[in-house]
Amino acid sequence: MPTAIQLEHVTKRYRTGRARTVVDLVASSVDSLRGRNQDVHSATRGKISSIIKALNDVSFTVPEGAGLGIIGRNGAGKTTLLKLISRVTWPTAGKVRVAGHVVSLIELGAGFHPELTGRDNVYLGAGLFGLTRKEIDRRFDEIVHFAGVERLIDTPMKRYSSGLYARLGFAVAIHSRPDIVLVDEVLSVGDAAFRRRALEALRQLITDGKTVLFISHDMWNVRRLCSQILWMEEGAVRAHGPAGEIAERYMNEVNLQALANQETALQSHRGGTGEVRFETVELFNGAGAAAAAFEPAETLVVRGAYTATHAVERPVFQVAIVDVDTGVIVTTASSVGAEMPAIVNGAGSIEVRFAHLPLRPRQYVLRLSITDAHQLALYDQVLAGPRFAVIGKGGGVDSLADEQDGLVSVPFEVRHRGLEGLGS
Amino acid sequence: MTKRQLSDKPDRMSVSAYLELLMNLTRREVMGRYSQSLFGAGWAIAQPLATMAVFTLVFARLGQMPSDGAPYPMFAYAALVPWFFFSNSVTSGTLSLVTYRNIVTKTYFPREIVPLAQVGSRLVDLGAASSLYVLLMVYYGVAPTVWTALVPVFLALLLLFTLGVTLATSALNVFYRDVSPVVQIGLQLWLYLTPVAYPLSAVEGYRPFFLLNPLTGVVEGLRAVLVFGREPEWPVVGVSAALIAVIFVAALTLFKKTEKYFADVI
Repeated sequence: MPTAIQLEHVTKRYRTGRARTVVDLVASSVDSLRGRNQDVHSATRGKISSIIKALNDVSFTVPEGAGLGIIGRNGAGKTTLLKLISRVTWPTAGKVRVAGHVVSLIELGAGFHPELTGRDNVYLGAGLFGLTRKEIDRRFDEIVHFAGVERLIDTPMKRYSSGLYARLGFAVAIHSRPDIVLVDEVLSVGDAAFRRRALEALRQLITDGKTVLFISHDMWNVRRLCSQILWMEEGAVRAHGPAGEIAERYMNEVNLQALANQETALQSHRGGTGEVRFETVELFNGAGAAAAAFEPAETLVVRGAYTATHAVERPVFQVAIVDVDTGVIVTTASSVGAEMPAIVNGAGSIEVRFAHLPLRPRQYVLRLSITDAHQLALYDQVLAGPRFAVIGKGGGVDSLADEQDGLVSVPFEVRHRGLEGLGS
Repeated sequence: MTKRQLSDKPDRMSVSAYLELLMNLTRREVMGRYSQSLFGAGWAIAQPLATMAVFTLVFARLGQMPSDGAPYPMFAYAALVPWFFFSNSVTSGTLSLVTYRNIVTKTYFPREIVPLAQVGSRLVDLGAASSLYVLLMVYYGVAPTVWTALVPVFLALLLLFTLGVTLATSALNVFYRDVSPVVQIGLQLWLYLTPVAYPLSAVEGYRPFFLLNPLTGVVEGLRAVLVFGREPEWPVVGVSAALIAVIFVAALTLFKKTEKYFADVI
C-alpha cells in the first residue's frame, strides 16, 4: 500500500503569554532572510518566556485506504496533528508529507457565511476545499441530498439549526473529492440518524481507498471505523497499533486513573435516617487482598462495616453494582439467602461475594443501602460508593464494554449451519 | 486513478478554483456589506460624493485652492474615487485575516485570497463610484481625449499598490493588533499628503517629498488623462510605478514568509 501520510520527527511549539514585540519580529525576519532559524516561535531569543510543546518528535505513517483513529486526553496534541496534516499550521521541526487532496473537518461549515443561502455556501465551502464551480455543479444535488436540506437550500444559513448547519458542512466536505479526510470530533453535533449516516459515508470513503483520520473519544465509533489507533499523550505517540488492542489499553488506563482519583469517604450522595449506617466499605479480590481493579470472571468481595445506634430489627443490607451511564446492573440483598440475625445493635459487618464477576471491562460504582425488612424505612443509602474497574486482558469480546456492546459477559456458543444442515 | 506523491507542500489549487474562490469571497464581502442596507451600493458613491462637496466648500470656495483650470468638484472627485478605493481596501483588508480567523485556523487555502477579496469587493465600489464621474463629465462638458485611454494603466497601478499595502498590513495585523489603529491614523494623514484636494503643482517646493508617495503618480496621472485629457508627467508616473513594484514584491514576500504562522498566533 502506498503511503498517504508520513510524519517524521515532527515537533510543534506554541508560544503563549506576552505578545512579541516589533523588535522580535524584525530580528526573526532578519534571521529568516539570512536563511537560518526559520522558526518565528523559537525560544532561542531568551526573552520569550513560555513555550508549549504541542507535539514532541512525532513520527508515524498512514497507508492509503486506512482508517486511523486518534485518541488521547484533551490537550494531547490530537487536533494539532490534524492541523499540521491539513497545512493550517506548520511544524516547528520535522517533516509532514501528505499524498493527495486533504479535506479537514476540524469544524463543520467553518467557511459558511450566515447571510448567504445554503446554495451559495455550498459553492463557497467547496471552493475553500479547492473545487471549481463545474465540479461543484456536478456534485451539488448529491451534497444537498446527503445533508437533507432540499427545502432550505435557498434560505440564508442564519435560519438553519446548528444540526443542519453541521450536516451541510459535513456533506460539502466529503463530496470535495478528498484523498484524505480529517475528522475532529465533529459528529457529536448531529442527531443519531445523521451520525450513523456520516459514519457510513466515512466507512465508504475508506472502502473506496481514501484515508480517514478520526479523532473521537467514543471508542465504539473509533473501533468501528478504524483498523488502527494512534494514542497520543502529552504531545507524543503513546501507542500505535491495531484498534482493538490500543482501545482496550487506553480504556484500561482511563478506568484505572479514574479509580486513583476517587474519594474514599462515603460522604457524597448520602441519604437515610441513620439508625444503621455503613462506616467503611472495602473491596477485596479472591485472594483476600484489597483491590480496585479486577479481571473479568475474577472474584469481587464487598465488605461493609456498619454501626447500629440502637437495636434494629431485621435490617436488609443491599449492595448493587451500577454503571454510571446505563444504570443498575446487579443487585443483591441480605434478605436473599443470607443468615441474618433478628436484631442488630452496635458494630458489625456484611460481606457480599461475587464469585465470577460477569462484567466486561469498564468502570463501575457500588450503591449500598440499609433498609428495614419491608424495604420501606431507609436507614442508610450510599449512592456513590466505592468504584472499581474491570480491566480487559487482551482482546476478544471482553476487551471493552459500552452501551452498544453490553456490559455483562456470559458464556455463549454460536453455531452455524449451512443449507445442507437444515434438510435433515 | 492518478498516482499521488507524498509532498510536504500544500495541495495546489487549480487556477480556476483559485479565481472562483476569490470571486466567491468577494461576493460574500459585497453581499455582507450591502445585504441589509436600504441604500445598498449607493453608499459606495455617497462617500466620495460627500467628501467632494466638503472639499469644494472648504478648499475651493474658502481656500481658493487652484485646480489647474478644471472644475474643482470634478478635479477632486477624480482623485477621491481612487483614494477611497485605496483607503477602504487597506482599512478592511488590514483586519481581514483576523475577521476570517474562523476559516484561517480551520481549513487550508491560499491565505492571500482573504485580503485580495477585500480589495476585490472595493473594486465593485470603485466601479459604482466611477459611474458618477461619467455624469460629472457630461455635466461639465468635458470630453475624453486620446490620453483617456491610459486610465486602465493608472487603475492597474492603483490596484497593484493597494494589493501590496493590504497584503503587508493584513499579515502584520495578525501578529500585532496595533497595526490596525496605526493604519487608521496613517490613512487620515495620507489623504492630505497626497495631491487629492490640490494639484501637485500647488506644492512645487516639496516635490521630491511628494514623489516618495506612490499615490502621487497614480492620482496625478489619472487626473491628467481623465480630467485634463493631457499627457501625464512621465517622470512622476515612472517613479511611482517603480516604487509600487518594489512595495508589491516586498509585501508579497512578507506575506508568504509569515503566512505559515497565521493560524498559530491569530
